[in-house]
Amino acid sequence: MATLRDRSPVHGLERRRLGPADVVAQSIAGSAPSAAMAATPVIVAGLAGPWTVWSFVAAAVIALLVAASIGRFTTRMAAPGGLYPLTAQGLGSGPAFAGGVAAVLGYLLLCAAALGGAVLYLPPLLGAGPAQTRWGATAAAVLCGLIVTALVARGVRPAARVVLLVEAIAVGALVGVFALLLAGGPLPGPGAGPQPAIGAAGLVAGVVPALAAFIGFEVATSLGAETRRPFRTVPRAVFATAAVTGVLYVFAAAVQTSGFAAVPGGLGGQVQPVQVLATTRGWWWIPPVLHAALVLSFLACAVATATALSRVLFSLARDGAVPGVLGRTHRRFRTPHVAVLAAVPAAAAAVAVPLAAGVPPEVLLVGLLGAATVGFLVTYLLVCLAAPLFLRRIGELTPAAVATAALAVPALFAALVAFVVAAPLSGLVLAVALPAGAGWAVLQRRRGDLPALGVYDETVASDVWHRVR
Amino acid sequence: MSDPPPISGRQPRAVRTALAVLEEVVAAGPGVTAKEISAALRLPPATTYRVLNLLVGEEYLVRLPDLRGFALGRRAARLAPVGVPRLPTAARGVVDHLRSRVRWGVHLAVFDGGRLHLLDPDPDHPPSDPDLLARLPQASALGRLLLADQPDWRALVRELRPVTEHTVTDPDRLSRLLDEVTEQGLASQTGELRPDRGCLAAAVRSPADGRLVAGLALSGPAARVADPDPELVALLREHAGSLGPLLG
Repeated sequence: MATLRDRSPVHGLERRRLGPADVVAQSIAGSAPSAAMAATPVIVAGLAGPWTVWSFVAAAVIALLVAASIGRFTTRMAAPGGLYPLTAQGLGSGPAFAGGVAAVLGYLLLCAAALGGAVLYLPPLLGAGPAQTRWGATAAAVLCGLIVTALVARGVRPAARVVLLVEAIAVGALVGVFALLLAGGPLPGPGAGPQPAIGAAGLVAGVVPALAAFIGFEVATSLGAETRRPFRTVPRAVFATAAVTGVLYVFAAAVQTSGFAAVPGGLGGQVQPVQVLATTRGWWWIPPVLHAALVLSFLACAVATATALSRVLFSLARDGAVPGVLGRTHRRFRTPHVAVLAAVPAAAAAVAVPLAAGVPPEVLLVGLLGAATVGFLVTYLLVCLAAPLFLRRIGELTPAAVATAALAVPALFAALVAFVVAAPLSGLVLAVALPAGAGWAVLQRRRGDLPALGVYDETVASDVWHRVR
Repeated sequence: MSDPPPISGRQPRAVRTALAVLEEVVAAGPGVTAKEISAALRLPPATTYRVLNLLVGEEYLVRLPDLRGFALGRRAARLAPVGVPRLPTAARGVVDHLRSRVRWGVHLAVFDGGRLHLLDPDPDHPPSDPDLLARLPQASALGRLLLADQPDWRALVRELRPVTEHTVTDPDRLSRLLDEVTEQGLASQTGELRPDRGCLAAAVRSPADGRLVAGLALSGPAARVADPDPELVALLREHAGSLGPLLG
């Protein structure tokens, strides 16, 4: 029998505290569904044409396969490090370290993108004024960054409560807006005209941006140690998020494609489809509601990803892979406050500095999201690959686990290749950084400087009955 | 997903399988693997894994740090009520000695398997209904000692219902109270079970491994519990300390 420790290697966090609602809210907020519902269908439509809705269905299936793979681990272990400790159980320390680096980059860039998104949609709400200027946007980004840092450092429960409330309002508003637009029927027009001949290749091209709408749905994984009944709550939260956001995206895509079915060029020919659908009917009040919901959704996403980012850094520090000071926890708030104070301002800077340099917010948002997606696809790919190997190691392999990996791994690999082809610079960085990171970790392990990676909330002596009595 | 769906009771085989798996883990001892359980019970592997993951999710079983082996979790302890041990004569002597020194009610409770047993209630100052104490551990000083010792007090608290207007029913406030109990090794309640009475309790820990074995409580007027006499607290702690080697 393996020896039991007296305290968890991830002690210091608020162990077993969050209920299912808090965890699901964080998870849904992580993928910022409101923003993706409004913005992604038009991007997908530009590539996929008539296959738009099916592209979202296919992306949802891939997300569910990833969720199932993550579930193989999270029903068995609770790790605050997100996906890299899971990868470590199946693939070992080298790939786990590469996954950890990809996760830190992914969460940092997604958090930055969420802050950027909030800044982008804030000025139309406030009207013309100082917020419209370059410096106004920079100041807004810094302010949002400070709020998120304070909230995440203050405690996991207050942050989760705020996210639950904010995300519920945002998703509720968006679903209401889309239901109204659906009830309004399609816009009148001469007919879509000659459709561009987009074959099944359009489906494949559309899946890639549709998949990008899902990234962040797994943030609940990093709350493992802090969740009450984690083995039940975390896998369900991740799977439910993939399913709920999948339904929301398919719904949003269907509403928008049907709305523009009779307009020349269809949905793909639009720039701001939701605004056009609303204003041509004279519903002037929809754009402000939409913008407010988007700002809220982006802020909730920033809090959720900042929480996950700090937990991944904390976990890497407890593993000894990054400076140990990042693994400290606050005595009263029970959060990894050093990691929060180091990482979240860095994410805010990743938005504020380019904004101050005059980069338009729209361009910045697209760039940050694209780079973040590459990081996430790497972590998903690794965890799907690791799942069957992990199950074989512990002697619990099932045919279903093999089938999941056999479907998910090639699909994710193809999506990753497609992304890298579309953005060669990110691909270059990826091709150099990740093998270098993995190699470094393996080298350090050989020299004995680095213990095995993948710290998690192990069963401790007091969890087992014979020690209780 | 916050509320479990009502139980239909139409899966008798699943229940039987779960109980058989629990029994097999007890019989084989800590460290038994899923494969071994599946072979011993002649169950299909996928069924065994599903049942095991369910039992781990509910925390009746735990996975050991190698993630292959299983053991009974602390929640399983609640399935097996244990007989209340007799109080050793020497321990009774310590309790009687404290009774002779103070004009308060002196009660001794032992903790076993996450439950509270009033082993020596003060005959001259009868405590609150023992069933009430066992059902609402969060409202009594002795119960708070027990809760503060748990990794998650919610596992032992069924309902946060008020008994008097002073009873703590806010989970966050209770969490803070229990943190203080852990810090000071002393729990108290004022007017939470009976409006005019209060209670102070000190932890009795085993000198060998420091685990919580019992609690020694003083009950008296609520106003005096709210602002306890330091000498009285010192006396209580001293007697709790001498009970440690006798009960631990």
